[in-house]
Order: sequence, then C-alpha cells, then structure tokens
Amino acid sequence: MTALKDSPAGSPVESAVQATPARARRSRRVRPSVALALAVVGLLGLAVAAPQLLATHDPTAIDFSAALQAPSAEHWFGTDESGRDLYSRVVHGTRESLTIGLGAAALSLALALVLGALAALGGRFVSGTVNRLVEILFAFPTLLFALLLVAILGPSATTQIVAVGVGSAPGYARIVRGQILAARRSGYVEAAIALGHPRSVILRQHVIPNAVRPLVAVFTLCVGQSIVWASGLSFLGLGVAPPSSEWGALLDAGRAYVTHAPWLVVIPGLVIVTLALAATAIGKDIQARLESGDS
Amino acid sequence: MSARPLALPALVAAAAILAGCTSTAASPTDPSAPASAAAPAAPTPGGSIVYGHQQEPACVFGGWIEQSYLSYNVLDSLVALDENHEVVPWLATEWSVSDDQLEWTFTLKEGVRFTDGSELTAEVVAFNFDYWMDGGNGTAAAWLGGYYESAEAVDERTVRISLSRPYPRLADNLTQGYFGIQSKEALESRSDEENCEKPIGSGAFKVQEWNRGENIVLVRNEDYTSWPANAKHEGPAYLEKIDWKFIGDPTTRVATLRSGETDAIYDVPAIDWAPLGSEGYELHRYVTPGRPQQLAFDTVDGPFTDERVRKAFAFASDRKQIVETIGHGVIPYEGNGGVSQATPGYSQKAADWYSYDPEQANQLLDEAGWTGRDAEGYRTKDGERLTVVLPYGAGSIINADGAAILQGIQEQVKAVGFHVELIPVPPSATFAGAYSTPEERDIYPGYWTSVTAGILYINWRQHLPESPNYANSAFLADPELEQIILDANSTVDLEEQNELYRKAQEYIAEHALSIGVYARLSTLAVREGLVDVWQENAQGGPVFHDAYLAG
Repeated sequence: MTALKDSPAGSPVESAVQATPARARRSRRVRPSVALALAVVGLLGLAVAAPQLLATHDPTAIDFSAALQAPSAEHWFGTDESGRDLYSRVVHGTRESLTIGLGAAALSLALALVLGALAALGGRFVSGTVNRLVEILFAFPTLLFALLLVAILGPSATTQIVAVGVGSAPGYARIVRGQILAARRSGYVEAAIALGHPRSVILRQHVIPNAVRPLVAVFTLCVGQSIVWASGLSFLGLGVAPPSSEWGALLDAGRAYVTHAPWLVVIPGLVIVTLALAATAIGKDIQARLESGDS
Repeated sequence: MSARPLALPALVAAAAILAGCTSTAASPTDPSAPASAAAPAAPTPGGSIVYGHQQEPACVFGGWIEQSYLSYNVLDSLVALDENHEVVPWLATEWSVSDDQLEWTFTLKEGVRFTDGSELTAEVVAFNFDYWMDGGNGTAAAWLGGYYESAEAVDERTVRISLSRPYPRLADNLTQGYFGIQSKEALESRSDEENCEKPIGSGAFKVQEWNRGENIVLVRNEDYTSWPANAKHEGPAYLEKIDWKFIGDPTTRVATLRSGETDAIYDVPAIDWAPLGSEGYELHRYVTPGRPQQLAFDTVDGPFTDERVRKAFAFASDRKQIVETIGHGVIPYEGNGGVSQATPGYSQKAADWYSYDPEQANQLLDEAGWTGRDAEGYRTKDGERLTVVLPYGAGSIINADGAAILQGIQEQVKAVGFHVELIPVPPSATFAGAYSTPEERDIYPGYWTSVTAGILYINWRQHLPESPNYANSAFLADPELEQIILDANSTVDLEEQNELYRKAQEYIAEHALSIGVYARLSTLAVREGLVDVWQENAQGGPVFHDAYLAG
C-alpha cells in the first residue's frame, strides 16, 4: 500500500491502468483472493450497519474482574485493562475506522480531481502554479503534513479525515493529471478533434470520463491506505477521543500492555492489515477489469 | 514551633551533624529495597550510568516538578527534607525566626563555591529570592507570593528573609527543588538560554550538554563540598557521569531497563511493578504529598455550578475500585479533601466524604432538574444533554494508567446519566494553555506536589477578575475557604495549623469542589549493581549523589 504513495506519481497505479488486455482478460473470473476480500468487506459492512448483530458484549462495559484476559470462548479477542471485550470493541470501532477511511479517501480524491484537472487543462500559468504547489506538497511526508494539521485543528475524527485526506491528495493529483493528459493525446480525442467537435464536448464526453474511470480503483486503494494513516495518527495519540474503539486508538491503548497482553495490539493490528489487504485486492481487481473494458 | 529544627543549637557543628546523619540515614523510600543493606562497605568512585526518564522539560531549572527532578542534582538548596519530614541543613547550617514570625535568618555554610568559581554568599542567596519573585521561577513565586517582602544580606554568611505575614512552614517549602540556589554571576552575566540549559549551581553534578529530544549529560562536580545533612556520604558524587535519557513511552522504558540499556528508570507502569520486583530490580515508590490527582469541578460555568450535580458526580463512580484495579495495588486511591494522604495535616474525614452510591447520585440529579433521559440513556434538562467536558494533559499530567482510570470513571458515571467527553490534550497544547478557561471545560484533572498542606492556598486562593488564580482549577472565588487556609498558613502551633488545614479539606469535600482520584507517584526501578540511588523526600526525584556501581 505504502509503495503507492512513496513512488513518484503513483507509478504502480499508472502502470496497472495501462496493463495489457491479455492480463485484463485473465482477471475476468473472480479470483479466490478477491472473493475472500469481498467476504471481508461484506463482514465489515455488516459491522458498520449493525454492529450489535456481530458483537458479543457492550463495547464500553467495564468488568474489572475480567481485566486483561487472554482470548477465550467468552472473550474471542481477549479483554483490555478495564475488562472490556476486545472483539466487541473492534466490531463497534469499524464504523468510525471506515468513516475516517472513506471520508479521507473521498476528500483526497476530490482534491486530487480539482488539482489534477487544473494542472492538466489549465493555462500555462494555472497549470504551472498547480504543478509547483503539488510538488511542494508532495515533498512533505504525508504523516508530517497530517501531524501539522492535527496540531492546528486539534485531535478528532474530522481532523483525521482532513489531515489524511489533504495529506495524501498530492499523489493522487499527479495520477489524475497523468490520466487526463493521456486521454487528451489518445486516438479517439484526436479523431473527435478532426471531426470538428467543440472543445467542451470533447472534454465532457471523452477526456473526463476516460480519465476518471480508473480512479474508481484508485479510490478503493486509497480507502485502505487512509485507514492505515488514520490508525497511525490514533496510535500517536492524535486521533479520536476515548472511549472510542477506532482501531488505531485500540492499538495506542494496547501499547502500554504489549508485553503483558499482546493480543491488545496484535489483534487490532491484524484487523487493520486485513482490511487494507482486502481493499487493495478489490482495488486491483477493479483496475484490471476497467482496463479490459477500455481496451 | 519550639520543636522546629531551627532551635537546635547542635546544628552549628556541621561536620558532626553530617557524620551523624550519614550513619543514621535509612532508606528513605521503599523499606523493602534491599540494596543499602547488602551494599559493600567501601564504594568505588567512578563509572557512568544511563537513567531513563519520562518527560523532557524546557529548562533544567524552573517551576515544574520535572525541572525540580533535574535541578535537585545540579543546584543545592538552603535546606533539605529528611525521611521523617524534618527540615535539615544543606547550604544553610542553621536558621531561626523572630518572635513576631516575620523575619527568618539563615546562616550559610562556609567555603561553598559554584561551578563557575564564584562564592556562595548571603548576597547571592538574597539575589536568588528576588530572581524567583521577578519571574525566574513561577512556582517559587506562587509559594512566596503574599508573604515574601524582601531578602537582604546581613553579613557575608547571614541572609534575612522578611515576610509580611507569619509563615511558619517557610523552611519546609524551601526544601522543594524550585528553591535551588544559582550563581548570581551566572544569572547576571549569561543569557537566559544558557541559564536555562546549563544553570550554574554548587550541586553534586553539572550539566555538560543537552541534546534536545534525547538526553542531558550530567557530569560530576569534582569540587563538591555542600552535600545536604541527609546525604548518605560526604564528598563529591561517586559516579562520574549520568546520561539522563528521555524515553517517553513507558513500555520502551521498561524494555531498556530489562535489556541493560538503562541502569535505572523513572515512572514504572503499574502492571510492570510486581514483575520487575521479582526479577530483582530495586523498586522505589514515593507517594507525592500536596494535591493528588484530583478532578476539580468548574464552579462558574456549566452544570457543575450546581453543588448537587457535583455531589452526584462524586457519588456516581467507585473511584477506589477503579484505581485499585488499574493501579494493580501500586497506585493508591486518594479521597476528596484537596491534599494527599502523604501530606501533613491530611483529613481522613474529608477523604471519606463520598462513597460509591449511584442511588444518591440519581436522587441529587433529579433534585437538580436533570430528570429527562435521551435515547442513549444520558440525562437531559430542557432538552439539553448532561454533557461534561473533561480535557486532560495526556502523557504530561496524566500517564497511561491515569488515562485508563479516567475512562473507568467515564463509563461508571454513564449509569446515572452523565455524558463525559474525555479529551486527551497533547503535551504541546497542554503547555500552550489549551482548555484553561471556564467555558472550555467542566472538569479538570491535575496534581500539584507540595511538602505541606500550604498547597491549599495556591490551589484555592480566590480566582477573581482583578487577581486571577489559574492554579485554582475550579475557578472558585470563596472568601470563606480562603480565610480558613490563610489562618492555617500563619498559625504557629503546628497542631492548631493542621486542624485548620483539615477544616479546609472538609470544606472542599463538603461542597464537592474537587474530588480525589489517585495518588501522584514518583517511582523508580534500579538494576542490581547500581547502589544507593534514592528519592529525595520533598518531591520524590532521584538523587544520584550517593549512587555507585558495585562490583
């Protein structure tokens, strides 16, 4: 996941978008990994919609007699220092974690669309300015930028959405710009120009749709990545307020007990990794399918 | 008052006293600590150690306990506190107070030099008092404010402190690290930054370098002559160097001790206490006197302006059980009076004022008009939810154990209908003054260490528009309470004084102005082979002057 952000201009995505038709055709069948990923997402969707159906305990109910118990039949994921059931906390934390992930991804891509379109379609001055701005933002490590925003706005779920969304937008803006430029130079746009279609029509009917479609895949990837970033902020104590069981906050709270009750850190960590992997698998699959549709 | 050490003529013979104190010095902290008894007869000087501390202050010297911990090893004070809570000589060999209690005279040790070569004189001490009052140390000024008038050098070795009102506990308060004496020459000739990073004292160690964010290197003062009367040995420190490392994360700190990367650590997490003890580490625990970790209610804005709501909150949670569970028997529960159990003049009656009684809490909230309940079970009044905002200095004022305790309270008071909004405030925001106004918060947790119940004056002096007192975290302006405390502060007979302090604590408890949660601890874990690290008795900071490496 992080390779996407760390590599200049999100090259893995761009290269995936330009995958060969043969590879795209191979991915028409639902691969087991994607089926598994869909199952995970479905389960998490249920946890968002109706956590009470999955949870076995009240996520904030304290039971001091059951503090720091290892995973068991009674407490599937064990209990924390106050005897709260970790499994139920993870289930109830899904909504907040996913809200932050989806919100940040949506904000990030919305910003990326605006910046990317301006960079690709604006005049020399606008395009140059936006490109430099994106490059400057790009030079900031995402986490550092997010930390700066949290310091200014104060820790909360909204801040996390803004911090992660804004922090990761520059990378996606570069992708959007690349897509639009590629579409502008494509044969069908050249043909439309040759046929004398007005510029606005070409943009609306050909350039924008073709440039934006691959972003559906990018969005899925971005959700997983945003959850990882947001969890990182929560882990640093800069996330949501207690007793929220947002996954990063669970990691942070469990840190103090890592040598005595490792499940408090390992399990929420695994959940975050699982979701990120599922989102990535689905995203790559969508990417491949879109590409095959294009070719 | 006659029983105070100032009347002891024997103190004049400093050397004799030092010898006496050295021989009788017992482990000042945990009696179970085995090190002193098993120590070899003649410590060998030399060697260096790494000490893992939690928080990094802005300066070595200043008004925060974290600064005191450092400056105690670098600066000497006029007096020290021994394990029996008696004031003993340090830079001052003796002291006396006039009959009207307004003039204190301190006689200074001879031949003491600061590490810049300048000499300790009465004039230097007088200069330090004025320096603190003029902004050099806010906490020292808070202690002396309202009492201190002037300091003057009577002769080379005698300094006289004049007060505007009697303050019989003055010497006790001067044992705190905020009152470390610095070289006048250094204060006058060097920049504020130099004095902040490398203050010049006459102490057992001097600051060699400060790598911000990493460590402070303290090196031995080879010419040390001015150890306190309760030191365990005479002469310069045994250790050549202390690498005072800042390791904020408690789990990491413990891991460095176990791996041998550090020789001693501060603030042992409750859950690691027993395991480290059984692994052979020497454990020290100091229950800090003064204000324990308490929850102060905002008495001027929001739901807690109604005393019944404050009382309801006090009844609504079993704070004792929460603290005992999260604290694993290491962190003691503290009651409701305004000072901790380790403070002279502590009132058990005030501490026990509120038991866990949800029924009574419900009744009080009904009476106060919070009769509605919303969908989530929280109480409402005129459609407004009973939400109370509780910001806390995460990682600075409240450690990880403390944060878990606050969550326990949050969950328990939910049952009677309180919606507590916990806001962890990062250290940078805490020290920038976030959530410091009545409109921003309803409950504020915090401690204030002190060797006497005189802390009540700092915490409960009236908060008035013309003279705000931000140490009064309830924003209370109650002349009656203030008068009880003022009377106590100036009462010479200590039994009578304690009686008045107890009355003040009971007043605080009765009106539920603040309620107790847990004792603020200073804890140390020291590896085997590092001997005679001890905690000073005024604030529980680590003392390295007597420490040595065995074998």
